[in-house]
Amino acid sequence: MSVLCPEIPAPGFSFDNCRRNVMLENKGLVLPKATKTGTTIVGIIYKDGVILGADTRATEDTTVADKNCEKIHYIAPNMYCCGAGTAADTEMTTQMISSQLELHRLYTGRVVRVATANQLLKQYLFRYQGYVGAALVLGGVDTTGSHLYCIFPHGSSDQLHYTTMGSGSLAAMAVFESRWKPDMEEAEGVQLVRDAIAAGIFNDLGSGSNVDICIIRKGGNVDYKRTYDEANKKGQKQNSYKYQKGTTAVLTTKVVDVEEVTVRRIETEEMDTA
Amino acid sequence: MSLAIRPYYPDYSTVPTQHHFNPYADNGGSIVAIAGNDFVIIGADTRLSAGFSIYTREQNKLFSLSGTTVLGCSGCWCDTLTLTRILKSRMQMYQQEHNKVMSTEACAQMLSTMLYYKRFFPYYISNVLVGLDNEGKGCVYSYDPIGHCEKATYRAGGSAGALLQPLLDNQIGQKNMLNVKPESVTKERALSIIKDVFISAAERDIYTGDSISINIITKDGITQETFELRKD
Amino acid sequence: MEGPNDWMDAPHSTGTSIMAAEFDNGVIIGADSRSTTGAYIANRVADKLTRITDRIYCCRSGSAADTQAIADIVSYHLEFHGMELGGDPLVEIGANVFKELCYNYRDSLMAGILVAGWDKKKGGQIYSIPIGGMCVRQPVSIGGSGSSYVYGYVDANFKPNMTQEECVKFVTNTLALAMSRDGSSGGVVRLGIITEKGIERRVVLGNELPKFYEN
Repeated sequence: MSVLCPEIPAPGFSFDNCRRNVMLENKGLVLPKATKTGTTIVGIIYKDGVILGADTRATEDTTVADKNCEKIHYIAPNMYCCGAGTAADTEMTTQMISSQLELHRLYTGRVVRVATANQLLKQYLFRYQGYVGAALVLGGVDTTGSHLYCIFPHGSSDQLHYTTMGSGSLAAMAVFESRWKPDMEEAEGVQLVRDAIAAGIFNDLGSGSNVDICIIRKGGNVDYKRTYDEANKKGQKQNSYKYQKGTTAVLTTKVVDVEEVTVRRIETEEMDTA
Repeated sequence: MSLAIRPYYPDYSTVPTQHHFNPYADNGGSIVAIAGNDFVIIGADTRLSAGFSIYTREQNKLFSLSGTTVLGCSGCWCDTLTLTRILKSRMQMYQQEHNKVMSTEACAQMLSTMLYYKRFFPYYISNVLVGLDNEGKGCVYSYDPIGHCEKATYRAGGSAGALLQPLLDNQIGQKNMLNVKPESVTKERALSIIKDVFISAAERDIYTGDSISINIITKDGITQETFELRKD
Repeated sequence: MEGPNDWMDAPHSTGTSIMAAEFDNGVIIGADSRSTTGAYIANRVADKLTRITDRIYCCRSGSAADTQAIADIVSYHLEFHGMELGGDPLVEIGANVFKELCYNYRDSLMAGILVAGWDKKKGGQIYSIPIGGMCVRQPVSIGGSGSSYVYGYVDANFKPNMTQEECVKFVTNTLALAMSRDGSSGGVVRLGIITEKGIERRVVLGNELPKFYEN
């Protein structure tokens, strides 16, 4: 293929290196692992809509890879989705479904339904038999009311009034099972979601840092509260770790003179619209 | 192809499954020790955990073996309990046989032989032993699980050991720096550095957090201190 | 060391108690409401009675992902078939579509399904499609991990042509017994009474379940 005409990659996943990688693995190569977000994500239905919540820690094995990542993803103006599991899979899956739903909205001229998003997501995940490791909490409002779905990596889904996912789901579910009730007020609901995420942050080592909350009200009014609560304050350092000038060793120095550059202003031309 | 007579239910397995017994657990935890001319400080976090859950937020991992010697342990907690119990009884036997308290150097050597005794079924512990030597100078001994012993002036061990050691190399060992005059660390600076590095470790290592217990050993004895860390 | 959260990677499956029984003018379907991932109860109010058409329902057991996907596909086929036919599809046809999928993809599926419904031709019918993709009509059928505990009870207590309430009682009792013995079944009993008029859904809450000898 000519350099001037770059090849357009085929749509879908590329499995080109699968056989090679299996061969290398059999020879003893340890393949790199994907970032798994040990996570607490939750969602509830309250009187006037849906509230989603998430922590903000991303882990790579036992190290914290990201202290403030975003786990509540945009799906549509009336819909958001929390993601747990393989970070790349949750991110790409929600982006792709979001794009499909936008085209669907343009085609039908209607507000897309949460049930549609659920169906697209579960059919996509089922197709990949759990290898796309996305565990999702999908929430939103549409003409038929408020909806909350919990979607598993293998492609099954449940419609629920309150749900939790990720490694902190047990801690968060304990909070919901003791305090959730139907038709809660917004303030009460937000407090419950905060407490559920905080339970995950403190009791699950895979979850940590801050609480993100997203409120989707009936009528499509959305309030995305990034860092709604800083569950943990960072410790105050006692020393200063600034280095004196000249601490870093300079091995070689090379000075290159920059050629003189002239800048010329170009007047814009109006397009002929006659 | 055979005809499956028994249905397969994932939660109600109909075939025998083989389980492997794993005698070790990693209960996490980090240790940092810094020695000076007339003191030594050792700090260990107080979080005891397994997998993604916390067993307790207030587990002391520092064991005083004598008036001038302290051992910090992290790794498999059940091994720590066994090792420290045997260590303490060996200390007492020594005292009764020789009518004197075991010196820090002797403790360090004994720990090494005790670990190597279990060469083929080791104690899964990261040990850092600190104390004052016979001249009253601070010293730090660090071990691998099977008894290799190394004397140093500062050391980080445990789950965040790899994260913290380079920081100590730079701040205490004054490594990779130009135009710095070599100076020994003061007690106050050592204490504040231990607190600061634990703050950093708690940010990035999921097994380090909650709080730290600190032992400061001088000729006047051992003083204890605690310091709070983040709890997520 | 095993991963700290094995249950997260474990497939979400319905260790289940499901059943269906014919009575004098229709069928009654029933299921517990527990769905588990490993030892964790992922959903304690699950609905395993899934609509295919207005008068054909299925009870799902096995992998939740597999059975939901199959039910969606069959539902799509029967909706289309109903349009071409200009009327309600027969239960037998629904069961055969299920069987076709379960048999052709038997190596990659884990699904044990009871198809139950009512049609003009044969009235109330139950078809059992166990793992492997067999299809057989039965007047009463039970399925899922909890069913092993109650075969004797069903054999002793099922009578053809029971009245509706008699049959509701029978199904509720059977499921309550299965749920009390099987650890991966539990929650509430969901019932569906399918007759010529369509379906009537009922729920028997956990604290309202019939009690038997407990020891």
